[in-house]
Order: sequence, then structure tokens, then C-alpha cells
Amino acid sequence: MTALISFGVYLAFVFALAAIANRAGKSRSFVSEYFLGSKNIGLWAFAFTYAATAASGGSFMGFPSLIYTHGWVLAWWIAGYMVVPMVALGLLAKRLNQVGRIAGAITIPELLRRRFESAAVGNFATVLVVFFMFFFLLAQFKAGAQIMATLLDGIPVYETAVSAVESAKDGIPWVGKADGDYLLCLLVFAVSVIVYTTFGGFRAVVWTDVMQGIVMGIGVIIMLFLCLSQVGGLANATRQVEKMTPPEFVTLELAPTKSEDINLRRGTWLELPDDGGIVRIKSAVSIPAKPNGNVEVEAIRITTPEEIEKVSRLVAFERPVSVALKGEPVPYAYGAGERGVYTRAPGPSKDNPAGFLGVMLALSFFAFWNFSGAGQPSYMVRQMAFQNTVTLRRSMVMVALYFGMIYFPLVLIFTSARVILPGMEIFPDRVMPEMASTLTENAGVPWLAGLLVAAPFAAVMSSVDSFLLLVSSGVVRDIYQESINPNASEKQIKRLSYIVTVVVGVLGVFAVLYPPQFLQDLIIFASAGLGACFLVPMVFALYWGRTTAKAMVVGMTTGGVTILILYLIGFLKTGEFEEYLLLGMHPFVWSVILVTPIMVIVSKIGQPPSETLREKFFGRPNLH
Amino acid sequence: MEGPEKQQTLGDSFRQSRKEFWFMIGTWVAFAVWTVGYNGIFASEVEVEVELFFGMPKWVFFGVAAPWAFALAVTIWFALCFMEDTPLEVDESLSEDGGGDK
Repeated sequence: MTALISFGVYLAFVFALAAIANRAGKSRSFVSEYFLGSKNIGLWAFAFTYAATAASGGSFMGFPSLIYTHGWVLAWWIAGYMVVPMVALGLLAKRLNQVGRIAGAITIPELLRRRFESAAVGNFATVLVVFFMFFFLLAQFKAGAQIMATLLDGIPVYETAVSAVESAKDGIPWVGKADGDYLLCLLVFAVSVIVYTTFGGFRAVVWTDVMQGIVMGIGVIIMLFLCLSQVGGLANATRQVEKMTPPEFVTLELAPTKSEDINLRRGTWLELPDDGGIVRIKSAVSIPAKPNGNVEVEAIRITTPEEIEKVSRLVAFERPVSVALKGEPVPYAYGAGERGVYTRAPGPSKDNPAGFLGVMLALSFFAFWNFSGAGQPSYMVRQMAFQNTVTLRRSMVMVALYFGMIYFPLVLIFTSARVILPGMEIFPDRVMPEMASTLTENAGVPWLAGLLVAAPFAAVMSSVDSFLLLVSSGVVRDIYQESINPNASEKQIKRLSYIVTVVVGVLGVFAVLYPPQFLQDLIIFASAGLGACFLVPMVFALYWGRTTAKAMVVGMTTGGVTILILYLIGFLKTGEFEEYLLLGMHPFVWSVILVTPIMVIVSKIGQPPSETLREKFFGRPNLH
Repeated sequence: MEGPEKQQTLGDSFRQSRKEFWFMIGTWVAFAVWTVGYNGIFASEVEVEVELFFGMPKWVFFGVAAPWAFALAVTIWFALCFMEDTPLEVDESLSEDGGGDK
């Protein structure tokens, strides 16, 4: 309950900041202020809004779950972040800001439209931004709802509210089959973010990003300290992780042993008869009293003797339920039964017989984090908003320090989490909030869980708000104002901006009622799609005056289609939302390989852009 | 519209930005070679007991933590010493009113 109060205080701060931002921006032009903070974002605001947007729900929910599931190899997977502050922030920022100012652009599609004097380029860019950004929104909504569900779990008021939602949703098309707790949290989270984003616009988003960025940084440092002290030091944790072997996936058949109904919570530990080991169930189950019958549930079986011993010491297994295995256990495709698999590459994998991270894939991710990061419109739009290059240079230093403080420590924390929280493979996306609760309870400071959980929550909020604004700016500025009603009054634009922000948020909620299992899948798909569509074309637009409008459209199309085709092949091969790694490389890398020569060829064979246009954005040729 | 002096400034700043662009690409290549090369060789070695360095597997320290610290130093040097300041407001009349290309 104390955690809930501290979390509530945090949320109240967010809304207060949005209100102040709303007042601060009142005297300025609405469109420029709402979507770009009037282009006068200073050092702290720019550094933190960039860092906080980058550190999304993926960093604080998806990334920890991957570390937990695959072990130390995730340090290699994330290693590309060591140069992200320089490459992703520096590669385009200076030119982007300058060209944006010359063009008088507020959004990325608008910048492209004016850079090439082509409505086709701008409209196509808008469609791509809205399409891929929507997947980002879905992932962030799911993350936000999950964090709330973990935080509120077990609180009586919340349980009552969940019961009310459960009975209210029955019979409602589409909504009716969603889990009550998830649905309630999703609604609360979505309404909070939509309200403050709509109310405060870009400035509120940036200011809340600063606060959220600080909360994230403090949260990680506290977690690191608590974690290492509770696990007996990093070396001790690594030694224990080294002994671990991956769990097996099983289906259980549960039957009551007494004539009463039995309810088991999600994550309940059970013991198999005849020394068959211990299992943890994936979802809550209600087992009707005898003689009505048995219930099947998915679970994992722990295979490491040291973990079995530890859980057996902490958990009471006696329950009026008989447990039996149904079918054969499914071991990991790579790493089953192998000690040391969590401390070396390629890391264990449930599905891939070659392991989690091969060399080519590691190289792909080293490229992906940097160049896909540079190609994200949500970062680009921030790069159009900083005041001057002094702000940019100093922000680069701050972001470098900040990322170093966050990403590598997360690897230390969540490899150690394997020791503190056994059996989390059953719902890996919940490992971050569970870890926050466990660490603070063990340390006797449960109220601190609110702050620690606020860290990933802050990450999610700061990403959702940015994406909401980006999508709504695409619709309002790039479609409505550019193509439908160029003479719209400020009042009309203002009203439409509010409406679109709300509508996009509501659509996101409906779309994410039944989300895929791994958050990271959605996030990587959306990042790859946006990076593939925008990175290379934007580099050409900013650094090569010979680039033509036709080459831009062809480049963006090639990038997007490459990603979609390789994901489609991945889906057809595995039946899951998964990319196809042609020659072991990520689709994003293939998009860069394909788009670059295609854009050169199309530009070279086309009519060159006018000298006036080149001089406007590149200056006169240096005759010295 | 833009005077000759203004345009020259834009040309110079473009060339400086391009120089910085290639420096960043070069830096990325260098760290990619170090990290992927070192870990490609050492990270998958099967040992009876993994060798630790500051509590982490040795390959993590030399293949990720150490280059990360070095990359941090390079980034700070790049941002504070190599990257040059550039005037961004090329023409005030074009920046707020929806652009000069109407």
C-alpha cells in the first residue's frame, strides 16, 4: 500500500508538470508549441527528453526479461549502446535542426516535403510514421498496464475493482475476453497519459521526460545497490548463475483432493509426485470441487538442483491438489541441461537450436541500436527542437553518461535476478516490477518499490506521450493542414490536435487488448520499420544535394518493404511474430544494404534537383 | 532572401557537419570491430569454471565493459573538442512562419 502511495505521488507530479507546461506555452503559436515546444529546448530538457524517450518500455520491461531469460550474453546484445549517444544523436542532429529551420518545418514529413518541394515525399513519410509508430504505442500500452497490475496486485480496493470490471465487460464485443486486471490497468494507464499529453503538448512531454529520466536513473542505481547487496556481490551471483540450466515447459493436470473449490494464483509453486521436481504455473486457475474434474495449466519445471533446493526452503507446497504431468516436457532448443549456458554466448534459447545470439546477429544489433536509433522520427523531431549546437554537444555528453549508468547496470541487476527470483521464465515481462517489489521488501523499505516501479513506468509514459504526439502531428499538420485545409484557423487546429491525440490513444487501447507475449518483438519490429524507412533516406536528404524526390520515395518504400517481407517470411516459417534472419543478419541491416545503392542509382538517373533548392539547403559550393 | 555571406556560412557548416558524420561512422566501425571481434572469439568458449573479472565473466569485461568506458571517453572528447558550433538560424524570416518556399 505504501508503494501505491509513493507511486500516486509520482503520478501527481507528472500531472502538475503538464499543467505548468500548458500555462507556459499559452502565449506562443499553438502548432509550433504543441508539436515542437517552439524550438527552444535547452540542455537538460533536450538531453533527458532524448534519453527518456529512447529508454522506453522496451528498456525497462522487455530488456530485463531478455537478460533474465538468456543471461550474460545480453551484455553483448546491448553493447551497441556504447556509441549510441554519439552516433544516434550526432549523425543527423546538427543538419536536421539546420535544415528544419531553413524549411520552417515542424514535423519530419513536413521537413521532407519542403526539402524536396514534393507533396508525394511528405505524404508517403506521414503514412509510414503513422503505421509503424502505432506498433510502438501498442507495446508501450501493454508495458504500462503490466507494471500497474504488478504494483496493485493483492490490494483489496484493486481486487474489488477488478471483479467489477470482470462482470461489467462480459458480453461486450472484443473487450469481453480480455483479462479483467489487465483491462483495468490498461484503461487507467492510457487515460492518464492521453490526458496529460493532450493537455500539455510537446513542452509537457519534454518536462515530464526530464523528471521521468531522473526517476529512471535514480531507480536503476538504487536497484543495483539493493540487488548486489542481497545477492552477496556480483561474483557470487555470476557463480550461481553459472550452475543454472534452463527450465522445461510442461502442461499440468490438476485435480482437487478434497471436496472444495480450489483457486491457485498465477505463479503458484507446486511439487510433482515421486520426486518429479517443482513446477510454477503460468496463469491463475480455479479447480472445481470433486467430482467435477481436472484442470490443465501451462507451467515450467525447474531443472537446476540448487534452485529447487532454494525454492523448497522458501515455499510451502502443501495444497489440496494432485499434480500430474500431461505429455512430455519441452526442453530449451539450445542449452537444455548445460551448465554455464547463462554465462557465455550464444546463450540459451527456447526456440532456436543455434542459441540466442550468434556473431552475425550480434553485429546486426550493434548496427541496429545506433542506426535504427538515428532513423527514428521520434528522436529526429527532438533533434529539430534544440536551441543551439552548444546544447547538442553538451547533451551528447550527458546522454553518454546517462546511458552508461542505465544499460550496463541493468545487465548486472537482471542476471542477478536469476538468483533472487527463480522461475520467472513463466512470465518474463514481469521480472522488472517483481524484482522491484522483492528487493525493497527484503530490504525492509517496501515504500521504495513505488519509486523503483515508477522508473519503468516513467520510461513507458515518456515514450507513449512522444509517440502519441508524433502520430497526431502526422495527422493534423501533415494531412489536414497540408492537404485538406491549408487555411485552417489556429482554433480549428487546436481542437483537431486534441481530438486526434485522444482518438489515437483510444484506438491504441482497443488494439492492445490481446497483446503478443514479448514486448520486445513489437518494439523491435516498429524500430526496424521506422529505421529502415527513414535512416538512409534522411542521410541522403541531409548530406547529398543530388538526392531526388523520386529516390526518396523509392528508398522509403524499399526500406519498409524489406522489413515487412522478412517479417512475413519469419511468420510463415515459425507461425510467430518473428523476423527472418537472412544469413543471420537482422532485416534492418538488409534494408540499409538495399536502400543505399538503390537511392544512389535512382538519384543519378533522374533529373537533378534545381540549383536554387541545393543552394537553399547546402549553401554555395566552396570555390576555394 | 539569403545574402552571399549567409550562404557561404551554410556551405561551410554543411562541410563541417559532413566531416563529423564520417568521424562518427569511423568510430562506430572501430567499436563494432572490437566488440564483435573480441566476443566472437572469446564469448562462446566452454570452460569448466568461467573466469571472472570484477565479478563478471572475463569476456563481458573486455568485450563490453572496457570498450564501453573507452567509448564514453571518445564521445566526451568528440562532443567537447571535435564537434564545432554552427549557427542554426540561417534566416529568421524562414523559421517560424511556415517556410520561405511557399
